[in-house]
Amino acid sequence: MADVRYAKAVNMALDDAMAADPAVVLFGEDIAEAGGPFGVTRGLLEKYGDRRVRDTPISEATIVGAAVGAAMSGLKPVVEIMFMDFVTIAMDAMVNQAAKARFMFGGQCSVPLVLRTPHGGGVNAGPQHSQCLEAWFAHIPGLKVVVPSNPSDANRLLKSAIMDPDPVVFVENKAMYSLKGEFDDASETIVIGTAHVARSGDDVTIVSYGAAVNTALQAAETLAPRDISVEVVDLRSIQPWDEATVLASLARTHRLIVLHEAVTAFGVGAEIVARMSDIGFDELDAPIKRVGAPFMPTPFAKSLENQYLPNAKDVIAAVEQVLA
Amino acid sequence: MSPVTNLTMPKLGLTMTEGTISEWVVSPGDSFKKNDVVLVVETEKIANEIEAPADGVLHDILVVAGETVAVGTPLANWDVGATAIPEVSAEIEEANATTHEPEKETAAATAFAEVRKNTASGAKSARIVATPLARRIALQNDIDLAGVIASGPKGRIKAEDVRAAIADDASRVTLSCGVAAASPDALPSRRAATSYEAAAARRLSEAKRDTPHFYLSTEADAGALFLLRQQLNSDNENLNISINHLIIAAVARALKENEIANCVWRDGEIVTYGTTDIGMAVSSDKGLFAPVLKDIDRLGIASIAKAARELAEKARTGQLTSDDLIGGSTTISNAGMFDVTYMGSIINPGQSSILGVGSIREIFRPDELGQPELRQEMGLVLSCDHRIFDGVSGLAFLNSIKANIEKPLRLLVS
Amino acid sequence: MSPTKSDNSVPISQLLEFYERMLLVREAENRLSKLFADGEVPGFIHLSVGQEAVCVGVTSALETRDTLASNHRGHGHALSKGVELNSFFLEVMGKEEGICGGRGGSMHVADMSVGMLGANGIVGAGIPLAVGSALAHQVQENGAIAVAFFGDGALAEGVLHESFNLAALWKLPILFVCENNGWSEFSPTGRQFNANVRELAGVFGIPSAFVDGDDVLAVNEAASELVTAIRAGEGPYVLECVTHRVRGHFEGDPQKYRAESEINSLPDHDPITKLETIISKRRIPKKEVVAIRGTIEARINAAVEAGRGGNAPDFSRAKADVYTAVEEV
Ligand SMILES: Cc1ncc(C[n+]2csc(CCOP(=O)(O)OP(=O)(O)O)c2C)c(N)n1
Ligand SMILES: [Mg+2]
Repeated sequence: MADVRYAKAVNMALDDAMAADPAVVLFGEDIAEAGGPFGVTRGLLEKYGDRRVRDTPISEATIVGAAVGAAMSGLKPVVEIMFMDFVTIAMDAMVNQAAKARFMFGGQCSVPLVLRTPHGGGVNAGPQHSQCLEAWFAHIPGLKVVVPSNPSDANRLLKSAIMDPDPVVFVENKAMYSLKGEFDDASETIVIGTAHVARSGDDVTIVSYGAAVNTALQAAETLAPRDISVEVVDLRSIQPWDEATVLASLARTHRLIVLHEAVTAFGVGAEIVARMSDIGFDELDAPIKRVGAPFMPTPFAKSLENQYLPNAKDVIAAVEQVLA
Repeated sequence: MSPVTNLTMPKLGLTMTEGTISEWVVSPGDSFKKNDVVLVVETEKIANEIEAPADGVLHDILVVAGETVAVGTPLANWDVGATAIPEVSAEIEEANATTHEPEKETAAATAFAEVRKNTASGAKSARIVATPLARRIALQNDIDLAGVIASGPKGRIKAEDVRAAIADDASRVTLSCGVAAASPDALPSRRAATSYEAAAARRLSEAKRDTPHFYLSTEADAGALFLLRQQLNSDNENLNISINHLIIAAVARALKENEIANCVWRDGEIVTYGTTDIGMAVSSDKGLFAPVLKDIDRLGIASIAKAARELAEKARTGQLTSDDLIGGSTTISNAGMFDVTYMGSIINPGQSSILGVGSIREIFRPDELGQPELRQEMGLVLSCDHRIFDGVSGLAFLNSIKANIEKPLRLLVS
Repeated sequence: MSPTKSDNSVPISQLLEFYERMLLVREAENRLSKLFADGEVPGFIHLSVGQEAVCVGVTSALETRDTLASNHRGHGHALSKGVELNSFFLEVMGKEEGICGGRGGSMHVADMSVGMLGANGIVGAGIPLAVGSALAHQVQENGAIAVAFFGDGALAEGVLHESFNLAALWKLPILFVCENNGWSEFSPTGRQFNANVRELAGVFGIPSAFVDGDDVLAVNEAASELVTAIRAGEGPYVLECVTHRVRGHFEGDPQKYRAESEINSLPDHDPITKLETIISKRRIPKKEVVAIRGTIEARINAAVEAGRGGNAPDFSRAKADVYTAVEEV
């Protein structure tokens, strides 16, 4: 077992998938010659050639639209949108085309495409290069949304996403690209929709996904000496999401906090809270708390962004509240 | 030091037997002004804001938000300004003056929990705040949440509270007794108050709450009054004078003799009436009314009788106008036709006293020689507004009334 | 482009085939119009009456393996690409047995088995789909090409410009067919687009052709030539077909915005009448034309009956198709 950086883990998954299946093609802005704005696709053009690894013009609507058409015509395109903020321009292709083709054509075809895109702040990228917009996609029937929290999961989940017959939004995190994590090439594949209990505990469950899982783990570590035992559930995918694992954890701890970097209002946490207050109602021994970004754009200045991003302190405060 | 008194769970509706504190607006140690909302009490479906009767300071909260307690249960103690609330007896004041130590507060809280346990069977619709898990555990273990002491925020019962209750055998026993008592037939029936009942309840509650009552009672020898009535009526059948008409005249004369009795408290001012107006309680199908006879000092006994009869008729036939219902500083509530000796009444809102007149009783009294003498007496209770009267002026007014009843010939001289 | 072949050079059998295929589209839509008025077709439908020469002329130059992405006015594209008539009617009438199980209706008719990637409710959205499909053909080197059908209204959509650019950059095997009927909903093209499609194509280095879209022979000849070039790896081409929309934007549109003179002149442009004139000049027995008419009518009658006999779609089956079932993977 070795430590591998997040970006490299994604790269390895792309490499493996391309080697395994000639239908897998990559295209996006600066992903071929330049190896990707974050170096994620480095080396793949050289290895698989310019038929399968392509630089596109700055045409997000057409990049994703073409991915839909290609997926309907026998390819398994993996396209990259440089920052998640730019998906606004590709929304029609995702929402009206990719998500609905299977349904509205009576199940005649699937749309096996993967849209890779990094979300998240923490690098002072400002309001248009930091957003976490995954909830938009999770709201659309027909799409799947995967948000890995560490290199090993990113690698395995991306392979699952590429093999998945349906359109998958694969959300990476630009602040995590350089982070190292344990990596075992022999680890088993992850079925999209299965959560992982990242830390076991008895007193309170924190459900999270993506980089925020690490914030939750940090908070759990801080609380341990105070005899507060926190369970951290890493959702890994938010559409579909692993209701059963969350419910099982809640049934043990009876207290629930949902944490994500995205703005809380109308977010993924709102869905989880609503669902658990329904199917998990009788398990609750405290109100469910959400921890996330405040209802404002991601600010640029370091001091502002630090205040904006949910951190371990916020999580600890929420834990204290649900334990009151 | 200003007096410390208990704030009790008010009765806010005719059918109210208990209330739930949904919120304490004022915190312990905070001061408040008269009419500030101090707490919110929930009954059935209504949330009622409870206002402070006067300026003061809240001391200890005895019943936390979320708890349901019976009407009359002390909820908190407080210092109410410099104005004493007359109905609070000296003993209570003393007792409460010493309940500031924290242990006492805990003891008090436990006591109220007991009260709640005992009334739990009737607490069918009272809202108990408990977490879903606490409810589930309680259900599975046959625990009545009404008997569980809450430790969570806002008085919320948590799972651990229910577990503590399970562990506490004694509480289980108490509960099982409570449950046994709660046979469905034994449950009180409920109906919504009519709008008249609700309005009357509100008015009376306000009057009782906002007017500091004190009560003075005595007996009046009614022998002369009887005799006079007989003579007047036998002289002229059409006069049809009743004892009540003569009492009205007696009170009218007493009002003239005691200027303070013709005053009322209004929004921090003392208003003295220039006319002599007297309310008289009349019961009708619709309930109790107190229409006001105007300018009676100018009327002879025959005219008083006529005016009183007309007004009572208007009340019984539902023809009173709002003009008929305003004015006057006092009301006569005569329960002589029923069997009652003393009747302490609630002062009508806006007035400063009310005279409760009991049934006339034959009773032996010693005469000057100490020999028993048969007398006809009526019990009089004067309810006074302490903001207008003090004990002396109240007694002077009552004694005037008594004298006018016992020497009724003066009522014929205007 | 080289001038149109003389009518005489087209074999009679081919004339009759064009005739039959155009008539199928025409009569199918005329029947839909009636069914719509009678309440048997729900939703709203856009008819391509008057534009049949474009879809028939282009698709006659295609093979089944070629793929086609269409727009909201797509009945002709679907039928002429080979979508089976009964399942087409069943779909538009909202039945379980419809080609899309009654989930899509008129605006989403698709049949992957004949390369029909779907009509589309979003103006311009089919164009990048066709680009992607062409990419698939190119990567898979399968010799197939893709066709994007779009109206003049889509010229104003940015995604078309992006698609031209990308197709040109990547030399994709795609034919862009602009059906210029002069109207975009209730607005004339001149108020919608401040250029023309061939100029735009030229900017990206895409060669283009321009034909009378009411002349099926001209359309087919041009399309055949371009398809051959595309298949040979020359990259994308644009074909602009000027044609005429006879009916309203959708059924029920009273077309108050069109000049009476324009409406009155529409019969002069009718592609079917034009072909009938050509046919009548050749020595073709009238009864053959009559027989074709009879066949088409019978087929459509049968399709309408099939449509009426279809079942209401099953909700749980529909819901199960939001994602691919695991067994199918
Ligand atoms: C993105 C989008 N915008 C607007 C519409 C509404 N709309 C439907 S058809 C149409 C006009 C299209 O004109 P054109 O492309 O020339 O096609 P035609 O109707 O003439 O066949 C419009 C504006 C739509 N369906 N999609
Ligand atoms: Mg048009």
